[in-house]
Amino acid sequence: MSSKQTPKISSGALVCGDNKMHGDITFGTNSIVHPSCTISAESGPIIFGDTCIIEEQAKIIHRVPFYRTDKNPVMFIGSNNVFEIDCTVEAAKIGNNNIFEPKCFVGNKVTITDGCVIGAGCVLTDEQVLPKNTIVHGSGCKQREALDQPNPQFGLMDTLMRLLPNYHHIRKPIKKP
Amino acid sequence: MEMRDIEYNKSSYVETSLGNKVSRQTILCGSQNIVLQGKVIVQQDSIIRGDLGNVRTGRYCIISKDVVIRPAHKKFSKGVAFFPLNIGDHVYIGEKSIVNAAMVGSYVYIGKNCVIGRRCQLKDCCVIEDNTVLAPETVVPSFTRYSGNPGVQVDDVPECQMDLMVDFTRSYYQHFVPEKRSKVES
Amino acid sequence: MAYIVEPDVVRYACMCGLLKPISRLYFCRHCLHLRCGFCVCHEVDSLFCGKCLENLPSTEAKLKKNKCSNCLECPSCHQQLSSKAATVAPKNPEDPKATPKKVIYLCCLNCRWTTRDVGIPDQEVGKSGWPEHENVHTNRLNAIMNHYKKLVLKEKQQQMDKDKKQRKYTTSLAERTGVTASILRKRLGMTELKNPLLEADDLKPAVASKEIVDSIEHLLTTPIKLNDITTIDQRLKLPDWQPTAVDKLYPVHKQLSVKRSLRCRSCEHNVSKPEYSPNSIKFKIQLFAYYHIPEIRIVTVEPLRIGKQCELLIKLINPTQHQTTITILPLEHLDAIQQEDTKVIEDPPETKEPLSFQLLQSSLTSHPRQINAKVGTDVSIPTSSIILPARDDAAEYDDTGETQNFQDDPKLVVFRKSNKAVIKLLVAPMENLELGEEVIAGFTMQHVYTSTIATTTENKEPQKFDHKMKIYLTLGTLVGSQ
Repeated sequence: MSSKQTPKISSGALVCGDNKMHGDITFGTNSIVHPSCTISAESGPIIFGDTCIIEEQAKIIHRVPFYRTDKNPVMFIGSNNVFEIDCTVEAAKIGNNNIFEPKCFVGNKVTITDGCVIGAGCVLTDEQVLPKNTIVHGSGCKQREALDQPNPQFGLMDTLMRLLPNYHHIRKPIKKP
Repeated sequence: MEMRDIEYNKSSYVETSLGNKVSRQTILCGSQNIVLQGKVIVQQDSIIRGDLGNVRTGRYCIISKDVVIRPAHKKFSKGVAFFPLNIGDHVYIGEKSIVNAAMVGSYVYIGKNCVIGRRCQLKDCCVIEDNTVLAPETVVPSFTRYSGNPGVQVDDVPECQMDLMVDFTRSYYQHFVPEKRSKVES
Repeated sequence: MAYIVEPDVVRYACMCGLLKPISRLYFCRHCLHLRCGFCVCHEVDSLFCGKCLENLPSTEAKLKKNKCSNCLECPSCHQQLSSKAATVAPKNPEDPKATPKKVIYLCCLNCRWTTRDVGIPDQEVGKSGWPEHENVHTNRLNAIMNHYKKLVLKEKQQQMDKDKKQRKYTTSLAERTGVTASILRKRLGMTELKNPLLEADDLKPAVASKEIVDSIEHLLTTPIKLNDITTIDQRLKLPDWQPTAVDKLYPVHKQLSVKRSLRCRSCEHNVSKPEYSPNSIKFKIQLFAYYHIPEIRIVTVEPLRIGKQCELLIKLINPTQHQTTITILPLEHLDAIQQEDTKVIEDPPETKEPLSFQLLQSSLTSHPRQINAKVGTDVSIPTSSIILPARDDAAEYDDTGETQNFQDDPKLVVFRKSNKAVIKLLVAPMENLELGEEVIAGFTMQHVYTSTIATTTENKEPQKFDHKMKIYLTLGTLVGSQ
């Protein structure tokens, strides 16, 4: 995989220029990528769903565990996911409507379903599947189940769509044939 | 303990007429919206998000390496607005901390690797210990010491915190000196 | 920084014998003693809520059980709850006039617990206050409380009666003539007044039940879902209900914080009095040691080896507006003086009665405890004193590098700038120390304290006192022998 591969950006997505991206990355429509985040598709392509927010210093790394032998694994990230400042996410399967709060760490053996919130500073490394609407919080990574999924932040996205192009160099989305 | 000299590479720093020392390896987004009142140190790889809202620091603020300062947003009925972020005088922010607060008072000490959640209010003379995570909208009253995840009050702060912080930030600024080698070259 | 997050390497011995960093000490300028937080009287000045920062009068706070009426805490993780707005569709969607209603619910931003989780109905916008969760045993608890109040009163009455019988010589006229108010009432044919609290009440004692209401069988048969069970912390946060299931958690009111003033124990003068407003960080009275006692900082220490004289550089800072003279004396010097001092203290220092706290009088004569520090090194005591000029805030901005004319011993004073001086001491770790052991050095510091309080009207000159205290320095670990 060549590291110079340019990411595929769907129309309507806003990807700032000053960030590190390696490998085959695809962004869905209306996604927002803040400057200075790291997205690295080491083991295989990363595909983001629609309306994801990736904040500064977030690290999304596709690095499958050594014992997995499936050929060319793909990291699927669903829609409406928010990756907040300085989070590190290596989970290869992520559903929709999840929030990764600042400084959380999600290892590559974890599978995230829908509507989960990984609290600030929480570290998840063991092999597990987080059930729907799970909230992980606090120093002991306590878990609880929420009533419903966090709302997608459309208002915030509108504001960011308006603000960011004024200040940043924006990567051009690919034109759809 | 008396503070030791902290050396920096002179060529990688910019010094303004107000005495601000800003590393060239920082990401100051929307720099027209960032006001540094003077004698402020901004060290390398820190990010200040002026593009999202105004950021204003007082005098003698120390922003360490890998710090993210980002104005907080709030959802209103007519959309989302970012609040300007005001930081008081004599504030220290430790390495790798994230400050997403609505307000940071004066004489505040924030340790290393902290997360100050969205719209937190840090009042004057408070201490946030290393690795603390403050939940969003937490109000930290004066003369309290917060620690843990989620951050809770663990202790109080000596009454002379104001003078301790003035002395600390001043001496940090005085001990923040260019490397000897680069001095000879210039 | 040293006093904010780093370990305390320089500690001052308080009058009570505890070792504290200078930032935690107070200096009573009336009795010229160092005081720490444990040997001053703490008084609550004002109560406030740490979230909304609203001041509450103490009577109101007592009525509300020292809790804020507006701010609520998350029962799940004990963080502050925030209100969130939401819109709810109208009840009958067919009605074209019906508009979506705006409601508020409470949400914890840490663990995302909401009032909707436990079925607390949303509040309409503009309405304030959340429904209080009543304890089912409120009546019983109140009855028990009343009963105990009565018991206390009864006991007091009995004690008083007993005292009356024991007293032989009565002083009041009413008692000498035997005509008390109650006897007078009887003579006049009036019924006796009874204290409503003294009347016997019909409190039924609790009866132990034989049956166990909660059967524990399901615990053995059904698998436990940890997400549905409360933690010990969560149960203890709600002592009234102690719920075992998460759907029984209710928001709790936030505990109030206090601002307090501190008072010297022996002379009853304030050593710290903050302004009342919770937002203010100013003080009306601030007799902190940091402002009155020379501060000592360790600059450098040579690696410590047994039997070798190691150089120790310490910095002295004069924080006061008056010139001072600092003399370093051996530790034992103060011991001899203190022994004399304690003899004096044992007698009541003054005949003047303290304003309050007569109970505390006994504790005033307390002996200072043994200082808990093992001194592991000898310190070379310099023969000359060091004069430190007054603190000058303007000098901070003065870069001219003025030279001061002090006749310093060049072997002692290494460096000098405005109100600061760095001096060199020699320390020799003792033979009986083990490798890796922490080495503590100690000495007595004497400085001239200039008192600014005018004691008498004719004596306008500021008085000068010699003030001595013990200093303990933690120098680091022993790295080896010579």
